[in-house]
Amino acid sequence: MGIMRMGYAHVRVTDMTEAKNHYGSTMGLYETLEDVSPEGNKRVFYKGWDEWDHHSVVLEEGGVGVVKYGWKAQHEADIEAIENKAKTFGLTVERMSAGENPEVGDGIRFTTTSDHVFEVFHSQTAIGTEVGTHNPDPFPRHLVGIGVPALDHSLITCEDPKLMEKLLMDVFDFYPTERIQTSLEDDHELAGTWLTSNNQIHQMAVIGGPQGKLHHFAFRLDDWSQVGHAADLLTMDDVAVDVTPTRHGITRGQTTYFFDPSGNRNEVFGGGYLAFPDRPTNVWTVDQIGKGIFYHSRELNERFTSVLT
Amino acid sequence: MATIIVQPSGAEIFISPDDTVLAGLQKAGYAYTVGCRRGGCGICKVDVLDGSFTYNRTVADSVITATERTDGTCLSCRAVPDEDLTIQMRDASLRLVNPLLGQLNAKARERARAASNAPEEQ
Ligand code: FES
Ligand SMILES: [Fe+2]
Repeated sequence: MGIMRMGYAHVRVTDMTEAKNHYGSTMGLYETLEDVSPEGNKRVFYKGWDEWDHHSVVLEEGGVGVVKYGWKAQHEADIEAIENKAKTFGLTVERMSAGENPEVGDGIRFTTTSDHVFEVFHSQTAIGTEVGTHNPDPFPRHLVGIGVPALDHSLITCEDPKLMEKLLMDVFDFYPTERIQTSLEDDHELAGTWLTSNNQIHQMAVIGGPQGKLHHFAFRLDDWSQVGHAADLLTMDDVAVDVTPTRHGITRGQTTYFFDPSGNRNEVFGGGYLAFPDRPTNVWTVDQIGKGIFYHSRELNERFTSVLT
Repeated sequence: MATIIVQPSGAEIFISPDDTVLAGLQKAGYAYTVGCRRGGCGICKVDVLDGSFTYNRTVADSVITATERTDGTCLSCRAVPDEDLTIQMRDASLRLVNPLLGQLNAKARERARAASNAPEEQ
């Protein structure tokens, strides 16, 4: 099936102590490894309680923004197939060997047309979820903070969302579930696109903006009550909140946006309808973008398109 | 005590010790365009015309460049004044969105000024 999910988001933080406090104590991720990168930067690796692979979030000290994304392919052979499609698309692809990322196997790496670094891998050391597979309980008894189960998706910016959408479709076999267009005519401009490879409503979204930037990366929650509970905890921990709980018109997901201690935007995302490749793509016109992004306030706040890391 | 003088309006704002420029202005009822409030997005930059400040956290080089570290650029969400500061807003003008807080701030500033000018008691 090719790409199954975003395997990891690797981001920069200015201060590891504060970052660990946020991602460990507030988000409730499980730390699986602490090391120093070949460049000499402190790194910390995390997984959510319902993830089985070694890590889904990597923090690296020094700067802000996203270093790269890792995408997990279902079969070993998928990597070569994706490599060929990437080359056909015109991208320069390099091989990555097992261990270049701790606990991650062989794969490929390329820089996208949006100037983001993507890695594709097939294997990561399996650690198992925190509830196991043998007569599992529905959640761990002693979650910390929000206790997010898993990484969900990310939103990035680039100058040409249309080209990036094509890349994700041609190279990863993704399909768009929702789009923002300047009109319904054929000659429309694409302002944003939400894509996935499976039933998850989106794995990666792209909006127009500067190259190589991170808008946010998101963790999965179930529903409104969990998003509300998460927002309560954000206040208790004095986390800088960007948008209090609301719904996205696009994806129908329930959400709250906030910033990590280095200013990278995070989201907790609940719900969202089931995606299918044969379901007609939802189209939002730019005049309704406010409703599409924040369904209740129906207006883009002054930070949505300008605050990035 | 430190005072922030905001140009072009000349508004004078009293700021508590250890508060960042942003925290001080917000507590005094003012608003301007800010983003992450955590030093990452760079949208809260103002220009310092007079006075010095210190960043209370490490600021990424991609947010404040080497040139910006010496040309008076001030990342207001991370900058704590060392002394009185005269600042100039950039694109975003400073708006007094909460006059009540503005009045309270003016009174606090008067009290602090009176206290610092009072002769020391024996
Ligand atoms: S508000 Fe983002 S850097 Fe100050
Ligand atoms: Fe999102």
